Amino acid sequence: MGSRPIGGRLALTRRRGGARFRVGSAPPMQPLATPPSDAPALALSDELAVALYEQMVLARALDERLVALQREGAITQHASAVGEEATVVGAVAAMHDEDWVFPSSREFAAALWRGMPLAAYAHHVFGTARDAGQGRNAPDPPFWKAARVASVSPLSGTHIPHAVGVAWAARVRKVDVAALVFFGEGATSSGDFHTGLNFAGVSRAPVVALCRNNGWATSTPASRQTASDGFAVKAVAYGLRGVRVDGGDVVAVLSAVREARARAAAGQGGTLVEAVIAGIDRVDPVARMRAQLESRGLWGADREQQLLGEVRADVERAVGEAQAGKPPARESLFDDVYAELPAYLREQRDQRDTG
Amino acid sequence: MTQMNMVQAINDGLRQEMRRDDRVVVLGEDVGKVGGVFRVTQGLWDEFGDDRVVDTPLSEGGIIGTAIGMALFGLLPVPEIQFADFIYPAYDQIVSELAKLRWRSGGEYPAKMVVRTPVGGGIRGGLYHSQSPESLFIHVAGLKVVCPSNPHDAKGLLLASIRDPDPVLFFEPKRIYRAAKGEVPEGDYTVPLGKAAVVREGKDVTLLAWGAMLYEAVAAADEAKKQGIDCEIVDLRTLWPVDVDAIVASVKKTGRVVVVHEAPKTCGFGAELVALVNEKAFLHLEAPPARVCGWDTPFPYTLEMDYLPLAHRILPAIVETARY
Repeated sequence: MGSRPIGGRLALTRRRGGARFRVGSAPPMQPLATPPSDAPALALSDELAVALYEQMVLARALDERLVALQREGAITQHASAVGEEATVVGAVAAMHDEDWVFPSSREFAAALWRGMPLAAYAHHVFGTARDAGQGRNAPDPPFWKAARVASVSPLSGTHIPHAVGVAWAARVRKVDVAALVFFGEGATSSGDFHTGLNFAGVSRAPVVALCRNNGWATSTPASRQTASDGFAVKAVAYGLRGVRVDGGDVVAVLSAVREARARAAAGQGGTLVEAVIAGIDRVDPVARMRAQLESRGLWGADREQQLLGEVRADVERAVGEAQAGKPPARESLFDDVYAELPAYLREQRDQRDTG
Repeated sequence: MTQMNMVQAINDGLRQEMRRDDRVVVLGEDVGKVGGVFRVTQGLWDEFGDDRVVDTPLSEGGIIGTAIGMALFGLLPVPEIQFADFIYPAYDQIVSELAKLRWRSGGEYPAKMVVRTPVGGGIRGGLYHSQSPESLFIHVAGLKVVCPSNPHDAKGLLLASIRDPDPVLFFEPKRIYRAAKGEVPEGDYTVPLGKAAVVREGKDVTLLAWGAMLYEAVAAADEAKKQGIDCEIVDLRTLWPVDVDAIVASVKKTGRVVVVHEAPKTCGFGAELVALVNEKAFLHLEAPPARVCGWDTPFPYTLEMDYLPLAHRILPAIVETARY
């Protein structure tokens, strides 16, 4: 799936195991055109390993709840990231606190990782008066200013040049700040993908462009997006480095993005990371990480039960509170069009319905 | 005070503001070493260097898209689009992103920039170097649109535009880039956004114009004077938010209004101006408001003087409106 939000029915069909997840329905995996990241095997601390897993579990629980809310008609859209948790969480966890993150439509977990409170996200989903965006954008993607999670539109690829611009400005200002930008493989067909990566190459901006390749943009297979051998190869023409990683392996994604960030900071330019996501019927990234924790003796059935209980309670609390939240005041519609309310908008704001 | 043309005045304004505020960066096609195809950014690269005066790849969407990122980071970009006719590849970035960022983020992520671009015909630029797309941007909530008619206003409006918190499209009428000359203060001053200027007082007919067409309105008013018609000429200067009070005050005084602009008539900014006049000064009108505009055709190369709403086309509209 690309970065466009998709309508409820289509999304639900998928969640119910429709075409998207039927084994064998995905396009054949192409051979690796570019080598996987050559970073040394990552020594992951116990603490980080557990934190990554917990975040993935939270993302899954929240995602499933949002899919249900959409099915009920309580929210109009939700771009599910079920099966893509390892890519989202692994990539965002590789960045530094002062870095910028540009999500696309499926990266709410990235905002949560950066510190956006669950309640704030729930208020965004329901478009309440307590939504930082005042209920102006339909659900996803969220933004969180305090942690430099940028405001992006649901349009495909338009945010890629923004991330490049942030990184470029950081380079000009000689500060160690990089930008991570997420997009689906469908967005690689947009002009802004080409433009953004071309500018990144020319400016040597410290940017990590993370392409979630799950094989499908809404209903369109990757083979209809490109005739190239995968997506990472596209980096070559822009003078960027391209790597392909297993998007179902949170440690592999973390490792590749961490390396990309380090190279960018060292003035070696940006990287296009293609995270290949097989689909949850074939690989469940959450279960995979749990197995890894178990093999390291860090996890067991009791902790799993406890975590699931906590996460579900947290999600229910946040959703319940936001669902009962008030809509923004009618007058707020006129705020923030400009820094100051112009006279003609004041007139419109103060106009009373005469029926 | 120094005698300057429009190019020199805008260059002077850019240089002063770049010296005053190190967040200001200039980027665009050929704006660096060469100083832009009209030389508006001449000398800036020599003074401020590669990091602040950037020759970009040839992509208007990329120029505006990356400028948005720079603005989010805290720089103050002043991108140049080489000709307004080339702005359409950046239209999505301007309309969907730049104009909406403040609003969609609840005020938390405004992206401030001033997009400079030459507009209008009269230099034998032909179809793709002559257009006047102002109404396409005025229609979009969140943008401000400015179009100066003389060197003094060009510098003062540019400085006001850079210091204004909202994104501004700064349209530079290229026909008068070098032809319009005048006294320009050397130091720091601003011409406030949203304020029109009454450049000539009169009692019979109000002429609303801006940019290069202001001079055509003046020429037509001179001719009308010979026929005993006394025109009041209002230079809008800021197209959006437009100075409704100045327009209404003038129309209430004269009871008659003629709007002049280069862009095609249908859904041109003149349509909005006439609607505003009808809403706010209808009972003061003595004649139907008139529009003298570019034809509803694409902009021609060979026949550009037949396309432009020059004085000889404005005069009959003034006379007809005055004698209605």
